[in-house]
Parts: sequence; C-alpha cells; structure tokens
Amino acid sequence: MADTPHGLQMKFAMPSDPRYLPVVRGAIGPLAAAVGWDETDCRAITLALDEALANVIRHAYHNRPDGLIELECRECADGLEITLMDQGDAPDRSKICARQIGCDQPGGLGTHIIKDVMDDVSYEVSPGGNRFVARKRLRKTT
Amino acid sequence: MKISVRDVGDAKVVEVEGDVDLGTSTDLRRTLFDALPRTTRVALNLQAIRYIDSSGIATLIEVLRNSQRLNKEFVLFGLSPAVQHVFQLTHVIRIFRVFQNEQEALGAA
Repeated sequence: MADTPHGLQMKFAMPSDPRYLPVVRGAIGPLAAAVGWDETDCRAITLALDEALANVIRHAYHNRPDGLIELECRECADGLEITLMDQGDAPDRSKICARQIGCDQPGGLGTHIIKDVMDDVSYEVSPGGNRFVARKRLRKTT
Repeated sequence: MKISVRDVGDAKVVEVEGDVDLGTSTDLRRTLFDALPRTTRVALNLQAIRYIDSSGIATLIEVLRNSQRLNKEFVLFGLSPAVQHVFQLTHVIRIFRVFQNEQEALGAA
C-alpha cells in the first residue's frame, strides 16, 4: 500500500497489560470511521486489532504485563495499515489459524478473526523483535 | 464489566454489562463456572455487552462444555449487535441454544 500525503496516523506504545486494550479500542474505531469505513467495518477492524494485541500479550509475553508493544495505524492511499512490534517470544506459525472454524474448541479463534477481517496479514521475526502487519483496503462504492 | 446473578425458580440468570475481553473474561468464566453446579439451568443475558472478543467467546464455549459434563443447561439470550457480529465471524453460534429474551430462555425445555 502506498503512503497518502498527510494521511491519518496513530502511534501507541503500551505495556502488555490487558487493562490498556479498551484504550486502543477507543481510538481505532473512530480512526477507521475517519478513513471511511461504516460502523460494521469499524467494529470488525477494532476487533481484529484487539485480537492481534491479545495474541501478543498471551503468546509473546505469556501474560506478563510489563512487555512493550508498539502500535502504528496508518492511513494509506487505499486503506489502512496496522503494525505491531514486540520483543517477546516469536509466534508459533503452526498455531496460526490451526483451529478448525465452527467447531466447539474454545481456543484459536483470534487469528481466524484477523484473517477474515483484514485483507493482508503478515508475521515477521527479526533480531529487532516480532512484527505483525495487517492491511485493509477501503472499497469505494461510487 | 459488571456481572450479577439472580435466581429465577430453579434457574440462575446471569447479567453482564460492558466489555468482555482478555482482561475481563476470566471474571465471567469464574461466575459461570460457580453458578453451574448450583442450578439446573444458567441463562446468560448478553443484551448489555458492548464488546466481546475471542477470549469471551472461548469462555462461553468452555462453560457450555462444562454444562454438558455436569448435565446442566447453559443458554444465551438477548444477543446485542456486537455479540452477534463476533458470533458471525467465529461461526460458533450453532453450538449454543440462543433465545430472544429471558422468558423464552427460561421457558425452553
């Protein structure tokens, strides 16, 4: 996705503490609305970001509340790009979307939600930490 | 998130208000797991939930499975739009018994 000049941008640095999840949820919904999505899509984007943050808290930092999560949400020419960075354990790729959808197993729903809501999702591991990037395109109806 | 429990006949009605997420779903889990052995049916009112994530849905699945082990009824009613949306995304609504309102949830055999 190409940058858009003077596009909306939001950056957070938050501890890996679930108490801060409502703070981020309170910001991403209005940002998505400002970019142009309707209420249902804004709710879905909020949920996808919340699930990605929850995965970092649970799996990268193992519910330790003192890890650092850096979040950037950026308006692009054709939509929105969300980036999360953390210094915790690398994601186990074998567990991403491993759960069968629609079954009665309680775990593993979050990655399915992220994949369903966002158009592109990637997980990268580097010496600088783990990087999660998700993009959603704004589909114009005109 | 606020949770309250009241007895209605031989059932328990659990009311939840606010956000159910990674930080709060353990409280909901504890309340529902405590309620199940003490009654024949637990009916969970989801009308006042503003937000629920996959940890909240996972909690409901866990409670449902526990209710089946204990031979108890666990039913849902009053799904708010936020809850319906997440059920839709996770494709798990079919495993629950869902009713429009409390009267139907308590009246169903």
